[in-house]
Amino acid sequence: MKVEVTTKRKFQQLKEQEIKKQATNEQEGLNSESSTFQNTAEDVQRSKPLHPELVQAASAVASSFPRSKEQAESELLAQLRRHEETTDKQRRGGTINIRNVISEMAVKRQSPAQRGVRISNRISLEMDEDGQRIKPGRPSSRSFDSGRSLKAGKRLNIFTKASPETENALKTVSSPTIWDLEFAKEIAAVTEQPPRNGFEEMIQWTKEGILWEFPIDNEAGMDDDAEFHEHIFLEKHLKDFPKQGPIRHFMELVICGLSKNPYLSVKQKIEHIEWFRNYFEEKKEFLQEI
Amino acid sequence: MAARRVGVSSWHRVLSLSGRCGRCSSTNTALGKTVENSEDAREEIVLPRRKTWDKLAVLQTLASTVKRDPTAAHYMFQDDPYLMPRNSATARLFSLSKESGRNAAKYIIKEFPHFFDKILAEPNIPSLMPEICTPQIEGVNEEALKERINLRMVKVSVDLFDQLLQAGTPVSLETTNSLLDLLCFYGDGESTQEKESKEKEDLEESEVNASEQETPKRPPQRGLHPSASRWRENNNAERIFKIMPERNAHSYCTMIRGMVKHGASAKAYDMYTELLNDRHKADVHTFNALIAAVPFLKDRFLERWELIKMFLNHMAQQEVQPNVRTFNAVLKTLRRCGGVGRSMAVPVIKEMEALEIEPSLATYDHLLSIFYRTADLAPSSIISEVLDDVEKRSFTPQDPDDARFFISAMQVCCDLKDIKLAYRLNKAMEKGDNWKFLDMDRLNSYWSRFFSLLCMMEQIDVVLKWYKEMSPSLFYPSPKNILDLLQALDAANHLEVIPSVWEDMKQLGFSKRRDLLEELLSLMSRDQHPEEIQLAFAKCAEDIKTVHEQSGKDQAPVEWTGSALGSVTVVFSRAGRIQDAWSMMERFQQINRIPTELVMDEFLNCAKQTNSPDEAIKLVKLAASLGLPSSQKLQSRIEKEFELSEDQKKALESIQSDSDSSDDSDRD
Repeated sequence: MKVEVTTKRKFQQLKEQEIKKQATNEQEGLNSESSTFQNTAEDVQRSKPLHPELVQAASAVASSFPRSKEQAESELLAQLRRHEETTDKQRRGGTINIRNVISEMAVKRQSPAQRGVRISNRISLEMDEDGQRIKPGRPSSRSFDSGRSLKAGKRLNIFTKASPETENALKTVSSPTIWDLEFAKEIAAVTEQPPRNGFEEMIQWTKEGILWEFPIDNEAGMDDDAEFHEHIFLEKHLKDFPKQGPIRHFMELVICGLSKNPYLSVKQKIEHIEWFRNYFEEKKEFLQEI
Repeated sequence: MAARRVGVSSWHRVLSLSGRCGRCSSTNTALGKTVENSEDAREEIVLPRRKTWDKLAVLQTLASTVKRDPTAAHYMFQDDPYLMPRNSATARLFSLSKESGRNAAKYIIKEFPHFFDKILAEPNIPSLMPEICTPQIEGVNEEALKERINLRMVKVSVDLFDQLLQAGTPVSLETTNSLLDLLCFYGDGESTQEKESKEKEDLEESEVNASEQETPKRPPQRGLHPSASRWRENNNAERIFKIMPERNAHSYCTMIRGMVKHGASAKAYDMYTELLNDRHKADVHTFNALIAAVPFLKDRFLERWELIKMFLNHMAQQEVQPNVRTFNAVLKTLRRCGGVGRSMAVPVIKEMEALEIEPSLATYDHLLSIFYRTADLAPSSIISEVLDDVEKRSFTPQDPDDARFFISAMQVCCDLKDIKLAYRLNKAMEKGDNWKFLDMDRLNSYWSRFFSLLCMMEQIDVVLKWYKEMSPSLFYPSPKNILDLLQALDAANHLEVIPSVWEDMKQLGFSKRRDLLEELLSLMSRDQHPEEIQLAFAKCAEDIKTVHEQSGKDQAPVEWTGSALGSVTVVFSRAGRIQDAWSMMERFQQINRIPTELVMDEFLNCAKQTNSPDEAIKLVKLAASLGLPSSQKLQSRIEKEFELSEDQKKALESIQSDSDSSDDSDRD
């Protein structure tokens, strides 16, 4: 609403300015061009009578002329009238002589560029879905557009910048909802490009886990807590067994076999040895007899 | 010493960069240490800290050494030479088919997981294994519901929820909210349906793009609400919302977002007023959705702007900080507000600056659309300022609309006919990661427009340089581009390049396009050229002739037009191929056309050159039979210029008498 009113007023002001300019142009004595119109205007204005003394003085002067007295008289009278008019005009100052102005305006034609602009404005109005025709506002808004720049201008002044503490306070941690997940996917898809060469394809595959990571790590994918020496050097678990004898021999063979076994974890190997220990403990009575 | 230190560390680097050597990293340092020890035992040995490289570092370095090959197609098409795409339509088709093949494979793995349960790779590759989508937890309880919501099974979750309610067990607010999220996001359809429709939309959009290559200006109303009016009255989401015993802000927000997404903007606004009545606070995403829905709520521009301002004021009151997507939504709505949008766009940008929010590419895209909507309102300062900002940064995607920026910017440059801006834009695109915003379709249209602008504004050698570099590896010229190229060649008087352009046309599959053929032929036949060029033109014309004559499977042959036929005849004549020229002349009668004066003159010239008066006489016979007024002139010309034998002279006279008699009979 506000915008409409101001633009209408602006247009009226513009119109008045135009008219004033044209009036001043005229007053500066456009003798050369369109003199016929001026003359017609003056003819119309001749209805105002001159001072009778002036008329008598003019006729007296004319009679003193040797020939064509009537012509001289009419010329003099015409000149006097012109003087009257100019003094009148200048006395009145900037008042508008509408008829002259209109006659002036009638002569000028709209330049094709202007017409084109107006038509295109109308077309763009039709393309815009606004119900109202803000037609009078169009020329003035155009003059704004030509100087538009992103650097100069006022802001909306709706928001204030939050201080960092309030920002932190506002950031609440919550698990991402389906909206967030899908939005993240959409954003990632904006800059997703197919690989441009073999190396980029390999990069993509490495990220997906399809390709091994170079330099090759032997232990990729193996989650074993123990080091290699814990697998191989299992002698320390034989502490509880006798130091000599067939049991020891047997257990050393067991340990040798276990150390070469890649499929059992350290815990399982220790359990094996424990089981043997328990077994031999139970059978101790029988073994003592041997 | 410093040199030695550098030497050792560089040797480290060399070893690690050798990539595929497969050596264990611990052996590297062991070797390094021994070398150091032997070389420099006296001084304090400061072992350099071992560098840990990212697992992708080697590959990324290698990838950075490979530049684009201007003679090859894109990497994804390099498989079988027969399957290399020749023009943009086939390129799109092939890439889509490749993608659909992958999707088909994924579908098979998903549908028949029992065929894929053997784990053969060591270590296991989870991304190639079928994923477990069946819910594990059974029973009618909340845990089962949560699991099904996580697996995105819409209908099953709703049924389970109803069962829970009927059994009387209360469902927690959080679970209900997550169920509402699921329902609102998918709008009551299933999750797979959503994907299929999205793919169909992509295909349709790309088809529309193809047709739009001819008319680069997009229609303004397109693509605004793809899932419009899919929100049914009283669907599950609304029902569950109504029966919820308590609701919090999240429930309202997710309902609003769902309604906006699926086209029920008026309902979303009502829901928002309900939210305000319950004295909750909406979050920033909800406000973004509401602002995006404004064009559907109001029609008049000022009302739209007032509504936007109202939402923004509410945001400020509820102490919700806007983000970049808020401002992008505002600008997107202002695009549809005509003059109001133009006056209000700059204050919005200033507000963004004041809040220190970095604009994304979508911001700039909306700005360009607001200010450069019609061709005459063109303040060019906006685009140069936008380019100033864009040139400095390498952008990350923040908004789905970011990808449109480069296309619309290039369109603006083309409209303004400003080649310098276009160069700047191109440089900005090549900076950093910005090139990634252009996927294949957009890349094609971007380069298409850029090339048109180049043809219009630049010198021919620059144009040809760009042409050789960019096509066909980066983009496939459209028919309009070929026309522009021909005109540029014409303007620069470089018509000898035309045969190679014809070769390209054949490769691109444009050899049957009538407009291009006409242009090509008229350019070839217009002026006389030196000898070799004429011969090359004649070969070209012969190719075109075969195009017109062959009828491929299920394809009607291209019809001859009078001008095309005439041009071909002229070209043949100038090259001295009289027989071919004569066969062309014979065709005129077939298509009911009359050869022009120029054609017949050239034919006679050719006949004179090759000293074949028989052909000349045949020409006169043809002209007479067609009743052309110029037959007399031709006849006199032949008598003057040719050495005729007796028979030929008699034949000539007989034609004349025939024509006279036919004239007499006509007069009667």
